[in-house]
Amino acid sequence: MSFSHRIPIPQGSQVSVSIGEEVRPDQELARRRNPIEPEIVPVAGPLRRRPEVAAGLLLRPPGAFVEAGEPIAQASDGRQVLSPVAGLLLAYSRVDGNAVISPLGPDEPILAHISGRVSAIDPTAITIEVQGAALDGVGGTGEAVHGELIVSVRDPGEELRAAAIDTGSTGKIVVGGSRASAETLTRARAMGVAGIVLGGVLDKELRDFAAIQRRRRDVGGLAGSFGLLLVEGFGKVGLDAGLFAWFERHSGHMASLFGAEHRLYVYDATRPPLRRSLPSLGDRVIAHRRPFQGRSGQLVGFVDGLHMTPSGILARTALVRFEDGRTTPVPLANLEATDRSESGSGD
Amino acid sequence: MTSVGSELALLVDVGSAWTKGTLISRVRGSWRIVAHGAQPTDWGDDELVRRLASALRPSADPRLARDLERLIAAAPRIECHTSVRPARLALASVSRDVSGAAARRAAESAGWLIVENASADDGRALTDRLVALQAAEVDAWLLSGGFEGAHADQALEMTALVAAARGDRREPVIWAGSSRLSHEVAGLFEPGAVSTVANPRPSPEREDPGPLRIYLEALLSRTVEPESARHLSPVSFRRALAQLSRETELRIMGIDLGARFATVVLADGRGEAESRVFARGGLTAAALTAPGGPGRVTRGMPEPIDELTVADTLQNLGARPATLPQTEEDLAVLHGAARHQLASVVADDLRADGIDLLVGAGRVMAAAPRPAMAAQMLIDGVRPLGVTALAIDGGALLGPLGSLEDGEIGEGMASLREDLLVPLGTAVICRGGRSGHVAMRVTLHRSGWPSIGPIEVRSGQLQIVPLGAGQFAELEISLEEGASLGTPRRSRRAWAEVSGGSVGVILDARGVPTSVPRRAEDRRAVLAAWRDAMLREPPQPAPRAR
Repeated sequence: MSFSHRIPIPQGSQVSVSIGEEVRPDQELARRRNPIEPEIVPVAGPLRRRPEVAAGLLLRPPGAFVEAGEPIAQASDGRQVLSPVAGLLLAYSRVDGNAVISPLGPDEPILAHISGRVSAIDPTAITIEVQGAALDGVGGTGEAVHGELIVSVRDPGEELRAAAIDTGSTGKIVVGGSRASAETLTRARAMGVAGIVLGGVLDKELRDFAAIQRRRRDVGGLAGSFGLLLVEGFGKVGLDAGLFAWFERHSGHMASLFGAEHRLYVYDATRPPLRRSLPSLGDRVIAHRRPFQGRSGQLVGFVDGLHMTPSGILARTALVRFEDGRTTPVPLANLEATDRSESGSGD
Repeated sequence: MTSVGSELALLVDVGSAWTKGTLISRVRGSWRIVAHGAQPTDWGDDELVRRLASALRPSADPRLARDLERLIAAAPRIECHTSVRPARLALASVSRDVSGAAARRAAESAGWLIVENASADDGRALTDRLVALQAAEVDAWLLSGGFEGAHADQALEMTALVAAARGDRREPVIWAGSSRLSHEVAGLFEPGAVSTVANPRPSPEREDPGPLRIYLEALLSRTVEPESARHLSPVSFRRALAQLSRETELRIMGIDLGARFATVVLADGRGEAESRVFARGGLTAAALTAPGGPGRVTRGMPEPIDELTVADTLQNLGARPATLPQTEEDLAVLHGAARHQLASVVADDLRADGIDLLVGAGRVMAAAPRPAMAAQMLIDGVRPLGVTALAIDGGALLGPLGSLEDGEIGEGMASLREDLLVPLGTAVICRGGRSGHVAMRVTLHRSGWPSIGPIEVRSGQLQIVPLGAGQFAELEISLEEGASLGTPRRSRRAWAEVSGGSVGVILDARGVPTSVPRRAEDRRAVLAAWRDAMLREPPQPAPRAR
């Protein structure tokens, strides 16, 4: 299975790879020097001109990159102002006659966090052709990360507890179950966990976790990257049993998690159980809205015409025999067909 | 029995979450809807055709029953669709709340999505601002700042920051700041990169976003699917309402509330229409799930649903917009979100005061279990002051019809006049009045029927008077001290011709905007009373006069 993955590259980055090159997750794709604390460079004073007059004597426009020692302004009498540093000329003030130059900090690598072959490079992004299995979630957050996949719950409906995160989880992508508290997520990040995959999470827990991260970032106590992928939905929602079995089977495989893009790649893996909208008779299905959110069963029939849901909305409706044996009508739009088990994934 | 032959046409509105298809055919000499279906967009075209065929089959000529799918697939198709992706903009301004706010409003109402909003007062360090701008993936850069005639250094500094961030990229740059700086701004970019547009905030007291919005609308149509601009839903919806307004000479406001987009159109009764398109104004808007969003939705709901449940439901709606609310709780949250979004998209510079007709479009209103729910979403969200007819675009016809060529829209709409809109009735909304006292007395006169009323409507109260679709009445409205219908005349007595619909005449003295108690239980009680008044089965009308 091959997928195209586009990695945005900020303006000003120097690309370190070429088209056709194979890259590893820990490989540098580009290098980038972020602007750092700007320096104030007097311009009007050294030129002995009034600030508004000196504005017309700038040799480089604000926004341009200047080298150290490069003249940035020159008067008709030959007086010059040289840039004391290499950096971006960000502004010139007509009030005080000073220029602002932001030097560039040390080189920082932009890591691939992904395995594959570079298929395209454009000014804004590098595209990687990925060989592996891809799983799309419905939500996520955080930076791109990579690591070994491990499963830290015994049951797809089990909550991922803080106690399940230990030193063995460091640098790994941890598969949890139906939810994780903000405390668990915070502990995971503090323990150096690369990322977490969950069936569901409460919006409040995610919000609390984000607030904790923000406070830690403000006080400078946040290090390393962390990503989170949500597979089924918000609330306490377990992973589908078939998908959970697939995760268990691929425990120990390398994976790349792109939380903001809601995507997980697993390498050397069979494909995950397929999901498909508009299920057919006999399909194994997963329901996605309350009161059956996250529950799976078999589609055993269709209701003729439109059926009124308990909310009063008329909808095309299927009859689903859930795994607890109950057969009940569910709007067809709320169902997804999925492979009967992970064994259906052949390639 | 419906005659099915070559005289079939398929009108399709492909939304980001739901696709609506309507099959029309000639029935006894006029074009009528013969089948309608709505389905998640990713179910695909074949399924829509199958669905329409199965809906049509019971009433179709049995000789054609086997051929229906082929006939529908081959029928002329009139289609509009939501754009594949929104156009993205980075905004740099001097002040987030002054020049930045004016530029942001103009850009968002033109359908752009602002992916980075930098201002000199945004609290970030200069370098953080620069890094954020460098990382932004955009289709255009918008710069704003400086009142007219002023030489704002900060505006030039923000411009330089954008020049540094943009580097050698070639996206267009729009300068919408002090015209005195235009030359200097242009000098910071390569020749031809900068377009200058009138300042949306020319002075501290004045905001004039119109020229910038119009410019950005044109740029957007060149940026996103330039070859099919007429078929983009926000454009076609506007064209359809402009035509409707031209034909009826009514002042019409239409709001299409979709999963991603919200479009507000105001047509002036002469066929001129302007619109505001919000790329993130629909039911999956980030604002609904951002901090404070679920709380605002919860506060507008009569149902005692806790904010955490509302937040999870809104997140799930965003994650899976093509699913349906199966429980009453989920439906309440969806409708609460719809009311909130309707209010937020009309809170800008397009006001609903004095309009003759308010049209709601979008799946959330068309699929509401009861017409009164759709009516409540409209009047609670939009609060049209005065006497306003209400209708919904139940068949999702306006968008596809608006995608026709200029010369064909009128003909298309005239052909489907009988089915075009689903009338809900008429809302009479007043503001003011003394709390707990009568705000207006309304008497409904119908030719050949006994008059109803005068009905006393107290300030803060809502009442429904049944008046069926196709029925008309004359309302005699007597306003008490302090109450107003928003008309320029100060007369305390007003007369209005009104039409009925599936809800009737809504007498609403809740004010504009409505005010509710701060205490949660009291607020819910008030909101529940309003909901119950809307949904209550109307009393049987008095017997017809002999």
